[in-house]
Amino acid sequence: MAKNLKATQEDKCNGCELCILESQRQLKKVGLEESLIRIFKGESENSYKVEIDPRVSVLDIEKIKSICPKEVFEITEND
Amino acid sequence: MIDTKAKKILSIDLSRKQSETKSFADLNTFIGGIGLGLKLYETYKEENPLIFSIGPLNGYFPFVSKTCVLVNNDGVIEDIYIGGGLSLRMRFAGIDALVIYGRSEGETVLEIQNSQVNFLPLQEKINDLGLPGKKSILTFENDKIILDGYFTTPEDFLEQNLKERKVGGIVITGTEIFKPENFLEYEKIYNEILSRSEEMSVERGNYPSCSNCPMGCGKSKVGEIGGNVLIHSLVGCQFADKIYTDIGIVFSCLNVLGYEYTHEDIENLPGLIEKTLKNLS
Repeated sequence: MAKNLKATQEDKCNGCELCILESQRQLKKVGLEESLIRIFKGESENSYKVEIDPRVSVLDIEKIKSICPKEVFEITEND
Repeated sequence: MIDTKAKKILSIDLSRKQSETKSFADLNTFIGGIGLGLKLYETYKEENPLIFSIGPLNGYFPFVSKTCVLVNNDGVIEDIYIGGGLSLRMRFAGIDALVIYGRSEGETVLEIQNSQVNFLPLQEKINDLGLPGKKSILTFENDKIILDGYFTTPEDFLEQNLKERKVGGIVITGTEIFKPENFLEYEKIYNEILSRSEEMSVERGNYPSCSNCPMGCGKSKVGEIGGNVLIHSLVGCQFADKIYTDIGIVFSCLNVLGYEYTHEDIENLPGLIEKTLKNLS
Protein backbone atom coordinates (compact mmCIF):
# COMPACT_ATOMS: atom_id res chain seq x y z
CA MET A 1 0.00 0.00 0.00
CA ALA A 2 1.23 3.47 -0.90
CA LYS A 3 1.77 5.91 1.93
CA ASN A 4 0.84 9.57 1.66
CA LEU A 5 1.68 12.61 3.72
CA LYS A 6 -1.30 14.79 4.60
CA ALA A 7 -1.51 18.07 6.52
CA THR A 8 -4.52 17.10 8.61
CA GLN A 9 -3.83 19.69 11.33
CA GLU A 10 -2.94 22.61 9.08
CA ASP A 11 -4.47 25.05 11.57
CA LYS A 12 -1.65 24.19 14.01
CA CYS A 13 1.16 25.08 11.55
CA ASN A 14 3.49 27.75 12.97
CA GLY A 15 5.28 28.48 9.68
CA CYS A 16 8.70 27.24 10.84
CA GLU A 17 9.34 25.58 7.46
CA LEU A 18 11.26 22.69 9.06
CA CYS A 19 9.23 20.27 6.89
CA ILE A 20 10.27 22.08 3.70
CA LEU A 21 13.91 22.10 4.68
CA GLU A 22 13.79 18.42 5.71
CA SER A 23 12.23 17.38 2.40
CA GLN A 24 14.86 19.39 0.54
CA ARG A 25 17.69 17.84 2.58
CA GLN A 26 16.41 14.41 1.63
CA LEU A 27 16.92 15.53 -1.98
CA LYS A 28 20.43 16.68 -1.03
CA LYS A 29 19.78 20.38 -1.37
CA VAL A 30 19.28 23.46 0.81
CA GLY A 31 16.80 26.04 -0.43
CA LEU A 32 13.15 26.61 -1.23
CA GLU A 33 13.17 26.17 -5.01
CA GLU A 34 11.28 23.13 -6.36
CA SER A 35 10.34 22.03 -2.86
CA LEU A 36 7.72 19.28 -2.63
CA ILE A 37 6.18 21.03 0.38
CA ARG A 38 5.33 24.70 0.42
CA ILE A 39 4.05 26.89 3.23
CA PHE A 40 2.04 30.02 2.48
CA LYS A 41 0.80 32.72 4.77
CA GLY A 42 -2.91 32.10 5.37
CA GLU A 43 -5.61 34.71 5.05
CA SER A 44 -6.48 34.86 8.73
CA GLU A 45 -4.01 36.21 11.27
CA ASN A 46 -1.13 33.86 12.16
CA SER A 47 -2.43 31.06 9.95
CA TYR A 48 -0.55 29.12 7.29
CA LYS A 49 -1.46 26.96 4.34
CA VAL A 50 0.48 23.76 3.66
CA GLU A 51 0.70 22.55 0.06
CA ILE A 52 2.06 19.05 -0.54
CA ASP A 53 3.18 17.69 -3.90
CA PRO A 54 2.12 13.99 -4.08
CA ARG A 55 5.63 13.12 -5.23
CA VAL A 56 6.72 13.71 -1.62
CA SER A 57 5.72 10.07 -1.01
CA VAL A 58 9.02 8.94 -2.54
CA LEU A 59 10.79 10.59 0.41
CA ASP A 60 11.08 9.47 4.02
CA ILE A 61 7.72 10.94 5.03
CA GLU A 62 7.93 9.53 8.55
CA LYS A 63 10.94 11.79 9.09
CA ILE A 64 9.12 14.79 7.62
CA LYS A 65 6.12 14.07 9.84
CA SER A 66 8.26 13.76 12.96
CA ILE A 67 10.26 16.96 12.39
CA CYS A 68 7.08 19.06 12.61
CA PRO A 69 6.88 20.56 16.12
CA LYS A 70 3.12 21.03 15.88
CA GLU A 71 2.13 17.55 14.62
CA VAL A 72 0.52 18.99 11.52
CA PHE A 73 1.02 15.86 9.41
CA GLU A 74 -0.48 12.40 9.27
CA ILE A 75 0.53 9.48 7.13
CA THR A 76 -2.30 7.74 5.34
CA GLU A 77 -2.29 4.56 3.30
CA ASN A 78 -3.91 4.05 -0.10
CA ASP A 79 -4.85 0.67 -1.58
CA MET B 1 27.68 26.78 -4.88
CA ILE B 2 28.40 28.32 -1.48
CA ASP B 3 30.83 31.22 -1.80
CA THR B 4 32.89 30.89 1.36
CA LYS B 5 35.64 33.26 0.21
CA ALA B 6 33.69 36.50 -0.15
CA LYS B 7 30.57 38.35 0.95
CA LYS B 8 28.00 39.18 -1.70
CA ILE B 9 26.46 42.60 -1.19
CA LEU B 10 23.40 43.98 -2.95
CA SER B 11 23.44 47.78 -2.83
CA ILE B 12 20.38 49.82 -3.72
CA ASP B 13 20.53 53.51 -4.57
CA LEU B 14 16.99 54.82 -4.11
CA SER B 15 17.72 58.27 -5.53
CA ARG B 16 18.98 56.92 -8.85
CA LYS B 17 16.81 53.77 -8.84
CA GLN B 18 19.89 51.67 -9.41
CA SER B 19 21.18 48.50 -7.84
CA GLU B 20 24.43 46.60 -7.97
CA THR B 21 25.69 43.28 -6.65
CA LYS B 22 29.35 42.90 -5.77
CA SER B 23 31.42 40.28 -3.94
CA PHE B 24 34.01 41.47 -1.42
CA ALA B 25 36.68 39.01 -0.26
CA ASP B 26 38.06 41.54 2.24
CA LEU B 27 34.78 41.51 4.20
CA ASN B 28 35.09 37.83 5.08
CA THR B 29 36.90 38.48 8.36
CA PHE B 30 33.82 40.34 9.62
CA ILE B 31 31.91 36.99 9.59
CA GLY B 32 28.40 38.42 9.12
CA GLY B 33 25.52 40.16 10.90
CA ILE B 34 26.69 42.97 13.19
CA GLY B 35 30.36 42.55 12.17
CA LEU B 36 29.69 42.65 8.44
CA GLY B 37 26.99 45.30 8.84
CA LEU B 38 29.21 47.73 10.75
CA LYS B 39 32.03 47.40 8.23
CA LEU B 40 29.56 48.09 5.43
CA TYR B 41 28.21 51.03 7.41
CA GLU B 42 31.75 52.42 7.56
CA THR B 43 32.21 51.84 3.81
CA TYR B 44 28.94 53.57 2.91
CA LYS B 45 29.04 56.09 5.78
CA GLU B 46 28.69 59.15 3.54
CA GLU B 47 25.49 57.69 2.09
CA ASN B 48 23.82 57.23 5.52
CA PRO B 49 22.94 53.61 4.71
CA LEU B 50 20.32 51.25 6.04
CA ILE B 51 21.80 47.77 6.23
CA PHE B 52 20.30 44.30 6.49
CA SER B 53 22.90 41.57 7.03
CA ILE B 54 22.97 37.86 7.75
CA GLY B 55 25.69 35.46 8.84
CA PRO B 56 27.27 32.36 7.31
CA LEU B 57 24.94 29.91 9.08
CA ASN B 58 21.59 31.57 8.32
CA GLY B 59 19.43 29.33 6.16
CA TYR B 60 21.56 26.27 6.88
CA PHE B 61 21.10 25.53 10.58
CA PRO B 62 18.32 25.64 13.19
CA PHE B 63 17.93 28.60 15.54
CA VAL B 64 20.02 30.88 13.30
CA SER B 65 16.98 32.75 12.11
CA LYS B 66 17.48 36.46 12.70
CA THR B 67 18.46 39.30 10.40
CA CYS B 68 20.65 42.14 11.65
CA VAL B 69 19.42 45.64 10.79
CA LEU B 70 21.75 48.62 11.21
CA VAL B 71 20.06 51.94 11.21
CA ASN B 72 21.09 55.52 11.98
CA ASN B 73 18.98 56.97 14.78
CA ASP B 74 19.86 60.66 15.14
CA GLY B 75 23.57 59.95 14.78
CA VAL B 76 23.57 56.74 16.82
CA ILE B 77 23.97 53.50 14.91
CA GLU B 78 21.43 51.07 16.32
CA ASP B 79 21.69 47.31 15.78
CA ILE B 80 18.32 45.63 15.87
CA TYR B 81 17.35 42.06 14.95
CA ILE B 82 14.23 40.80 13.27
CA GLY B 83 13.00 37.19 13.21
CA GLY B 84 10.68 35.47 10.76
CA GLY B 85 11.81 34.20 7.38
CA LEU B 86 13.83 37.16 6.10
CA SER B 87 17.29 35.70 6.79
CA LEU B 88 16.32 32.48 5.00
CA ARG B 89 15.15 34.45 1.95
CA MET B 90 18.32 36.55 1.92
CA ARG B 91 20.40 33.36 2.07
CA PHE B 92 18.47 31.81 -0.81
CA ALA B 93 18.65 35.09 -2.72
CA GLY B 94 22.39 34.53 -2.47
CA ILE B 95 23.14 37.80 -0.67
CA ASP B 96 24.95 38.35 2.62
CA ALA B 97 23.86 41.95 3.01
CA LEU B 98 21.51 44.49 1.57
CA VAL B 99 22.69 48.12 1.64
CA ILE B 100 20.00 50.74 0.98
CA TYR B 101 20.86 54.40 0.58
CA GLY B 102 19.47 57.62 -0.86
CA ARG B 103 15.84 58.69 -0.93
CA SER B 104 13.18 57.75 -3.39
CA GLU B 105 11.34 60.49 -5.28
CA GLY B 106 7.94 58.91 -4.69
CA GLU B 107 6.64 56.19 -2.37
CA THR B 108 8.39 53.01 -3.49
CA VAL B 109 8.25 49.29 -2.95
CA LEU B 110 11.43 47.32 -3.54
CA GLU B 111 10.80 43.96 -5.16
CA ILE B 112 13.95 41.88 -4.91
CA GLN B 113 14.45 38.46 -6.46
CA ASN B 114 17.96 37.16 -5.88
CA SER B 115 20.14 40.01 -7.23
CA GLN B 116 17.41 41.62 -9.34
CA VAL B 117 15.70 44.73 -7.94
CA ASN B 118 12.48 46.32 -9.23
CA PHE B 119 11.54 49.81 -8.03
CA LEU B 120 7.74 49.84 -7.98
CA PRO B 121 5.25 52.51 -6.98
CA LEU B 122 3.65 51.83 -3.59
CA GLN B 123 0.56 49.73 -4.15
CA GLU B 124 -2.07 48.10 -2.03
CA LYS B 125 -1.37 44.67 -3.46
CA ILE B 126 2.14 44.31 -2.08
CA ASN B 127 1.19 40.77 -1.00
CA ASP B 128 0.91 39.79 -4.68
CA LEU B 129 4.56 40.64 -5.36
CA GLY B 130 7.34 38.04 -5.20
CA LEU B 131 7.09 34.27 -5.56
CA PRO B 132 4.67 32.47 -3.23
CA GLY B 133 6.34 30.35 -0.58
CA LYS B 134 9.76 31.79 -1.36
CA LYS B 135 9.29 35.40 -0.30
CA SER B 136 9.28 37.58 2.76
CA ILE B 137 7.31 40.81 2.88
CA LEU B 138 8.34 43.77 4.99
CA THR B 139 5.61 46.38 5.01
CA PHE B 140 3.86 49.04 7.09
CA GLU B 141 0.78 48.17 9.11
CA ASN B 142 -0.60 50.98 11.26
CA ASP B 143 2.74 52.85 11.16
CA LYS B 144 4.68 49.77 12.34
CA ILE B 145 6.94 47.71 10.10
CA ILE B 146 5.69 44.12 10.02
CA LEU B 147 7.53 41.18 8.49
CA ASP B 148 5.38 38.43 7.01
CA GLY B 149 2.31 39.77 8.80
CA TYR B 150 3.67 39.15 12.30
CA PHE B 151 7.30 39.92 13.18
CA THR B 152 8.41 43.41 14.24
CA THR B 153 11.56 45.20 15.45
CA PRO B 154 12.20 46.98 18.77
CA GLU B 155 11.58 50.74 18.94
CA ASP B 156 10.67 52.54 15.72
CA PHE B 157 14.13 53.14 14.21
CA LEU B 158 13.42 51.09 11.09
CA GLU B 159 10.01 52.69 10.58
CA GLN B 160 11.46 56.22 10.73
CA ASN B 161 14.31 55.34 8.40
CA LEU B 162 12.12 53.75 5.74
CA LYS B 163 9.62 56.60 5.92
CA GLU B 164 12.41 59.17 5.40
CA ARG B 165 13.55 57.22 2.34
CA LYS B 166 9.97 56.87 1.06
CA VAL B 167 10.17 53.11 1.05
CA GLY B 168 6.74 51.62 1.73
CA GLY B 169 7.80 48.00 1.64
CA ILE B 170 10.39 45.42 0.65
CA VAL B 171 9.56 42.05 -0.89
CA ILE B 172 12.44 39.62 -1.15
CA THR B 173 12.36 36.27 -2.93
CA GLY B 174 15.17 33.71 -2.86
CA THR B 175 15.31 30.90 -5.40
CA GLU B 176 18.89 29.71 -5.16
CA ILE B 177 19.77 26.17 -4.10
CA PHE B 178 22.89 25.21 -2.18
CA LYS B 179 24.53 21.82 -1.83
CA PRO B 180 27.11 21.50 0.93
CA GLU B 181 29.84 19.20 -0.37
CA ASN B 182 29.81 16.82 2.59
CA PHE B 183 26.04 16.55 2.74
CA LEU B 184 25.88 13.59 5.11
CA GLU B 185 27.98 15.42 7.69
CA TYR B 186 25.91 18.57 7.16
CA GLU B 187 22.69 16.63 7.85
CA LYS B 188 24.23 15.03 10.92
CA ILE B 189 25.21 18.40 12.42
CA TYR B 190 21.83 19.89 11.50
CA ASN B 191 19.98 17.10 13.32
CA GLU B 192 22.30 17.30 16.33
CA ILE B 193 21.59 21.00 16.73
CA LEU B 194 17.85 20.58 16.23
CA SER B 195 17.84 17.91 18.95
CA ARG B 196 19.23 20.52 21.39
CA SER B 197 16.03 22.56 21.46
CA GLU B 198 15.72 21.91 25.21
CA GLU B 199 18.80 24.16 25.60
CA MET B 200 16.89 27.11 24.20
CA SER B 201 16.30 29.64 26.96
CA VAL B 202 12.71 30.15 25.90
CA GLU B 203 9.55 28.07 26.22
CA ARG B 204 7.79 26.47 23.28
CA GLY B 205 4.59 28.26 22.35
CA ASN B 206 1.77 28.39 19.85
CA TYR B 207 2.92 31.53 18.07
CA PRO B 208 4.33 31.89 14.54
CA SER B 209 7.91 30.63 14.45
CA CYS B 210 10.98 31.99 12.77
CA SER B 211 12.10 29.89 9.79
CA ASN B 212 14.26 26.93 10.80
CA CYS B 213 13.14 27.11 14.44
CA PRO B 214 10.48 24.86 15.96
CA MET B 215 9.90 26.89 19.12
CA GLY B 216 6.99 29.22 18.23
CA CYS B 217 8.02 31.12 21.35
CA GLY B 218 6.16 34.39 21.01
CA LYS B 219 9.22 36.39 22.05
CA SER B 220 10.55 36.55 18.50
CA LYS B 221 7.62 38.78 17.54
CA VAL B 222 9.29 41.91 18.91
CA GLY B 223 12.85 41.22 17.71
CA GLU B 224 16.06 41.93 19.60
CA ILE B 225 18.35 44.88 20.28
CA GLY B 226 22.07 44.72 21.19
CA GLY B 227 23.70 41.64 22.77
CA ASN B 228 26.40 38.99 22.24
CA VAL B 229 28.82 39.81 19.41
CA LEU B 230 29.33 36.22 18.19
CA ILE B 231 25.61 35.38 18.26
CA HIS B 232 24.82 38.61 16.41
CA SER B 233 27.56 38.06 13.84
CA LEU B 234 26.18 34.60 13.09
CA VAL B 235 22.77 36.25 13.50
CA GLY B 236 21.49 33.47 15.66
CA CYS B 237 18.61 33.79 18.07
CA GLN B 238 19.54 35.29 21.45
CA PHE B 239 17.68 32.39 23.10
CA ALA B 240 20.06 29.94 21.36
CA ASP B 241 23.11 31.39 23.10
CA LYS B 242 23.94 28.09 24.87
CA ILE B 243 24.22 26.42 21.46
CA TYR B 244 25.92 29.10 19.41
CA THR B 245 28.43 30.27 21.98
CA ASP B 246 29.69 26.66 21.93
CA ILE B 247 32.74 27.26 19.74
CA GLY B 248 32.97 23.55 18.83
CA ILE B 249 29.46 23.64 17.35
CA VAL B 250 30.13 26.92 15.55
CA PHE B 251 33.28 25.52 13.92
CA SER B 252 31.53 22.26 12.99
CA CYS B 253 28.86 24.29 11.21
CA LEU B 254 31.33 26.62 9.48
CA ASN B 255 33.66 23.82 8.43
CA VAL B 256 30.97 21.60 6.93
CA LEU B 257 29.86 24.52 4.76
CA GLY B 258 33.46 24.99 3.61
CA TYR B 259 34.38 28.13 5.56
CA GLU B 260 37.99 28.29 6.65
CA TYR B 261 37.61 30.58 9.65
CA THR B 262 40.13 29.99 12.43
CA HIS B 263 39.87 30.38 16.21
CA GLU B 264 41.83 33.61 15.77
CA ASP B 265 39.19 34.95 13.38
CA ILE B 266 36.52 34.39 16.03
CA GLU B 267 38.74 35.74 18.83
CA ASN B 268 39.63 38.84 16.79
CA LEU B 269 36.03 39.64 15.92
CA PRO B 270 35.19 41.78 18.99
CA GLY B 271 38.38 43.81 18.39
CA LEU B 272 37.52 44.31 14.71
CA ILE B 273 34.05 45.47 15.65
CA GLU B 274 35.42 47.85 18.28
CA LYS B 275 37.89 49.30 15.77
CA THR B 276 35.13 49.78 13.21
CA LEU B 277 32.96 51.52 15.81
CA LYS B 278 35.84 53.84 16.69
CA ASN B 279 36.27 54.73 13.00
CA LEU B 280 32.58 55.51 12.83
CA SER B 281 32.48 57.73 15.90
